[in-house]
Amino acid sequence: MKVDIQSLGTFNRLAHEGAEEATAAMCQMTGLDAVVDVTKITLMDRDDIGEQLRDEEYVGVQFAFEGELAGDTVLVFDREGSRTIAESLIPGGGASDSMARSSVKEIGNIMMSGFIDGWADFLTATIEHSPPEYVEGTGEAILPDRRRPDSDDADDGDGADTSGQNTEQIFVFKSEIEWVGESVSFYIYMLPEYEPLAEVMGRHGQAQGDAIPVDKLQVFNEMTYDGTQRAADNVEMMTGIETEAEVSQLSFAPIEDVPKQVGTDTYVGTVVEFTGVPSGFLMVLFDEDSAVHIAEAMMPIEMDADGLTGQHKNAIEELGNIMTSGFVDGWANVLQTSVDHTPPRLVHDMGRAIVDPLAAQVGQHQEHAFIIDSEMRTDDIAFGAEIHALPNETELRQALDELLVDRADQTDADIEQIF
Amino acid sequence: MPDVLIADDSEFMRNLLREILEEDHDIVGEVENGVEAVETYKEKDPDLVMMDIVMPIRDGIEATDEIKTNNPEANVIMCTSVGQEEKMKEAVKAGADGYITKPFQKPSVMEAIEDVVPT
Repeated sequence: MKVDIQSLGTFNRLAHEGAEEATAAMCQMTGLDAVVDVTKITLMDRDDIGEQLRDEEYVGVQFAFEGELAGDTVLVFDREGSRTIAESLIPGGGASDSMARSSVKEIGNIMMSGFIDGWADFLTATIEHSPPEYVEGTGEAILPDRRRPDSDDADDGDGADTSGQNTEQIFVFKSEIEWVGESVSFYIYMLPEYEPLAEVMGRHGQAQGDAIPVDKLQVFNEMTYDGTQRAADNVEMMTGIETEAEVSQLSFAPIEDVPKQVGTDTYVGTVVEFTGVPSGFLMVLFDEDSAVHIAEAMMPIEMDADGLTGQHKNAIEELGNIMTSGFVDGWANVLQTSVDHTPPRLVHDMGRAIVDPLAAQVGQHQEHAFIIDSEMRTDDIAFGAEIHALPNETELRQALDELLVDRADQTDADIEQIF
Repeated sequence: MPDVLIADDSEFMRNLLREILEEDHDIVGEVENGVEAVETYKEKDPDLVMMDIVMPIRDGIEATDEIKTNNPEANVIMCTSVGQEEKMKEAVKAGADGYITKPFQKPSVMEAIEDVVPT
């Protein structure tokens, strides 16, 4: 299957408009004020869906849908948010679990019907959905069964597994909705089955000129995971802290939504501009506590200063440099090209403020962007790192065109052979 | 003891290399970019240059090329985070004598040096 950039953009807009319809319905019923913050299409490992839900308690409603598109969709609120909704629908209702449950189920039904109807209208087809099912759970367990039932038979010809690692990558449409003035979010996930989505995307795709073969997107995603693991290995070697790549995903979103991906927390890290095919920007970001921990683990002497000193920043700058190389070298070696990057520039700011100028620069040439997001974590100390890449869309497409799937595992260069 | 020039834009990495090398080598200079590397090489004529690749103003491959053009007997080890095959080939073309990738540990640095400047 090939998917063209234009239809990815159209489908993203459709999901965003559906989320706006659903949010408007909720606002009308409750009097609460909410806005759709981000909508993106993500190609990711099925097992990683919902990672960002972490360990919070959620409630929501889930539907199965079938017809022109088939799959599952779910709307989830954190538990506190569900009580606020119940309270606004029926004063005093938030105090009763059964009333809160009933409120969530009803409002979810109305919201999600609007969401699905928008898709059906666009496709000029019927999409049937099941009655709403109330769901509750912790973190990603709230989502529909994320494991495919026939996981022992991963390579079944549906084109969705090319890794040989018994993983399955799927497209997920995710909208994040924020309540104005509250630190509460809720999410809409749409998990379409691969075949009907592929068929619809193929039908709505236009020129061949900007089409990307999806199997190569999947291979590229796997290369990105390898790059993240290599960066994690570099962290481990420099600090002695056992570090694992956790999530790696390739998303597609309007350029104006890109800064929202990183959020409003303060980060310390590095930014580099890379040139070659593809060109773009790459950020290695640590939350402030992680930056202090990781920098101190790199230093031979114990620090007696509190907080982030110049020495910490020097260490982070070098670590960011090495992690950047670990991340992009694999692409270069598989593509048999070189990807140069500028020396790392240290950043210490709110996430969105770091990404904003980079997205503006990339946005001079494109309306949507692919965003490569990776995370790594360790259990030893409080440490988390995120890598975000923002490649030029046209050049990424060119790189994927040139990508030989058979070479996808040749990410390492052999120094001994060359010297 | 062999004289070594360290060229790396990262203060952290210069310190690390100095700590690894200073027991058995004389560190005759530490510079932050390729232009300073070429100038300091001319001035100090060290036995060995440990050269980063990604540096501001002028990168390590260009600096290596100029150093080796001026003195084909110069010894230069690329000491870099870049692990790309094409970049390694560029380094060979510029005349680099060795290549080690960051992050490294003392044994791999000493081994690379021994290959290029045997004691």
